[in-house]
Amino acid sequence: MKNSIAERIADFLIAHPPFSDLSHDEITDIASDIRVLNLEKNKTLFQINDLLHESFYVVASGVINLSVISDAEETLLNKCVPGDILGLRPFFAKNNYMMTAKAREESIVYAIPIATFRPFVAKNAEVLDFLLLSFANTSSNPAERSQGKLLNDSVRHIDNQSEIQYFQSLDYNKNPLTSTPNAIIQNVAQIMTDNLSGCVIIQENNLPIGIVTDMDLRSKIATGRFYITALVSNIMSSPVVTVPENLSLAEAQLFMLRHNVTHLCVTVDGSDKTQIKGVISQHDIIAAQANNPGILIKEIKRAQNPDELKRLREKLAEFIRTSMDKKIPLSHINNIAGEVNMAIIKRAIDLAILEFGSPPARFAWLSIGSQGRKEQLLQTDQDSILVFEDVAPDKYREVKEYFLKLAKKVTTTLENAGYPYCPYGHMASNSVWCKSLTDWKNQYSSWMNTPGERTDEICSIFFDYEIAFGEILLEEALTEMIFKNAEKNKKFFAFLGTDTLKKPAPLSFFKQFNLEEEGEHKDKFDVKTRAIMPFVDAARVLTISHNIKGINNTFLRFKQLAITEPKYAEVYLNAADAFLTLSKFRTQEGIKNGTTGQYLNLEELSKSDKEKLKNAFLPMKDLEEIIKNKFQLTYFT
Amino acid sequence: MIDWLKNINKDYPEFWKQYLSKFEKKSNRFVVLSTETTGLDANSDVILSIGAIAIENNTILIGDVFEVVLLQYIYNHDHGISNEFIIESKQPKSLEPQAIQGFVEYLGNSVLIGHRIDFDVEVINKALEKLKCGRLKNEALDIEVMYRKWKELSDGKEFSLDELSELFKIETSDRVSASEDAYTIALLFLKLKSRLGIN
Repeated sequence: MKNSIAERIADFLIAHPPFSDLSHDEITDIASDIRVLNLEKNKTLFQINDLLHESFYVVASGVINLSVISDAEETLLNKCVPGDILGLRPFFAKNNYMMTAKAREESIVYAIPIATFRPFVAKNAEVLDFLLLSFANTSSNPAERSQGKLLNDSVRHIDNQSEIQYFQSLDYNKNPLTSTPNAIIQNVAQIMTDNLSGCVIIQENNLPIGIVTDMDLRSKIATGRFYITALVSNIMSSPVVTVPENLSLAEAQLFMLRHNVTHLCVTVDGSDKTQIKGVISQHDIIAAQANNPGILIKEIKRAQNPDELKRLREKLAEFIRTSMDKKIPLSHINNIAGEVNMAIIKRAIDLAILEFGSPPARFAWLSIGSQGRKEQLLQTDQDSILVFEDVAPDKYREVKEYFLKLAKKVTTTLENAGYPYCPYGHMASNSVWCKSLTDWKNQYSSWMNTPGERTDEICSIFFDYEIAFGEILLEEALTEMIFKNAEKNKKFFAFLGTDTLKKPAPLSFFKQFNLEEEGEHKDKFDVKTRAIMPFVDAARVLTISHNIKGINNTFLRFKQLAITEPKYAEVYLNAADAFLTLSKFRTQEGIKNGTTGQYLNLEELSKSDKEKLKNAFLPMKDLEEIIKNKFQLTYFT
Repeated sequence: MIDWLKNINKDYPEFWKQYLSKFEKKSNRFVVLSTETTGLDANSDVILSIGAIAIENNTILIGDVFEVVLLQYIYNHDHGISNEFIIESKQPKSLEPQAIQGFVEYLGNSVLIGHRIDFDVEVINKALEKLKCGRLKNEALDIEVMYRKWKELSDGKEFSLDELSELFKIETSDRVSASEDAYTIALLFLKLKSRLGIN
């Protein structure tokens, strides 16, 4: 029957992607399943943690705000205007909504059942691409969304998260049950039951030719269409959808969506002409979604004791491991690991404050060194300082005592959670590194104006800091003071620069690796001291000299330097890449042996890896030249 | 109950008996009705088209519509009106008895919604009379009355459908048909319903 209202709605939809890729008749069909809702102002369409609806929505009139709650604050992600699509999450995920949709003004929305729309997605490449585009789209900036008017409903608790989700690897069953096509159905069902498995791959010569799932048993056996004594080839779904190894979460979802299946068979090259390597089920996808760093951070925020923090930290290690396997760009992993570590530190401080009561003065807990640079991937020790605001002299002792007690508690908690103490005692629990703002200013000032005089201490790690907790104004006061002191401070830069150049060289005169000559790590290569630290130090001294504030990460520092100082751009960009390469070597080593990854066993590296490693040293020479010239080090050394 | 017994004795057409039997249960379905007629006199004018759309759980169900253009050959002949526009219309067409029967079956025991719904009910009752049926028993709500209630205005004040659409900033289609009006009324009803706090 003709339905003029459905046609009227179709006329509206066809002007907007992805509907513009469908024919008018198709849209009219879809439109006749539409439900129309009126939302009064401030009415919620769905909210975070609501069960998924069976429909997604198109705004017909009015404005719908999409927001997330983070840090107890509602953050507006986007607003949807007529023609915009929202609530697509049910297409991609099975867990609950991760954002809230609320009418900003009275609005009319069309609810389109997922079940109605899914077939059109599956058979129309443009529609699928549109969804894919939005799925991979990380932009929450309205200005950037002009080409696609559709919003990813997965939430960015932290930067890059949806990108990570796009890249995120899947853990799946690598030893799937298999059977031959002439097995008896009953036996196959028994094997599935014994192994608590929802599917069996049917193979011939270890090549997949079909699959039997719980659903096949339900729809083809339980309905009486076949006897349980029949051959399994009668009921298998064939051909089976095959995919290559190393599939990402998003890709797996899209394959399932496109082929409308619940299981994917993994083969060596992704075709059904190669060996079976495993099977991905919908459950694996749900598990992967629950394993994302955003949820990890949420859990950290709710952790009640150090043991829980420890468990969550182990989860982070697992996340790093799978991300590395998956070849996710290291700079992304760095960022995320940094955020998660930061969240754990925050929570440890929270817990301590809950125990000792509110602090008597404002303070800032700064992570220094690698955590401050967000380059702490593996078991790296804790480095931190505590700055509290200036208090009356007669209160100083009391206040300092409180913060020392607090810091001791926090560092102990972190130690228990799996962050070893700093062997040099660079921790807020150390009376030397827990003091008032004025004391800290004096400290930095003495480091910068009379470097190397009173201490041999390598102070450089104190120049990589990031606030983990507390009053941001204190951090800003320190930064301002440092940059003021840095201005035209030749001595300071000379000292930092010399310190940078003093690092032991990675290669001998004959271009051989310089290995450790004695001790526990004899004959291993110290990638941290000989290769990574020179880059870190160089990036630091150069950014400070260029007055670049707020960028602590070595990789980003080089990137920024390339922009600030275009004449050396090539050197800086090479250095950024080299730094990542070296970090990757270190991280892989660390994962393999459960260590910090500081020492590489070169015998385990392939020839090409050794070459790669050597190549990564090349930009060091150029950096050295730049530093020498810039700070006129020839006068000092 | 007594009503129902009284009715069952009468020799109603089968579809009407079916209709009456549906009222044993209460409905949570609303049917928004709009009719086009030849004029405003229920006694002498006839229905030209019916458009209706259903609402359940505060949502308009686009798949649940009833649309028909009535083939009023006799009336048109008597009044010297051309049948041209009926022939051109793409909507489904029926003779009055089939159209009315179809509508009654579609309506069931739902609550009727309309703009000046009394008149719509009245013309349908007239048509039912010709089919030897009783009168519609459905509860009916009028959006004009609802609007006055919300604004606490006196009964005398009148608001046409276009005026109400304007007041609620509802875009109306250029196509004029009973179905379009029914859809517009449905949107107005949802808006008024939430404002008046009716569940």
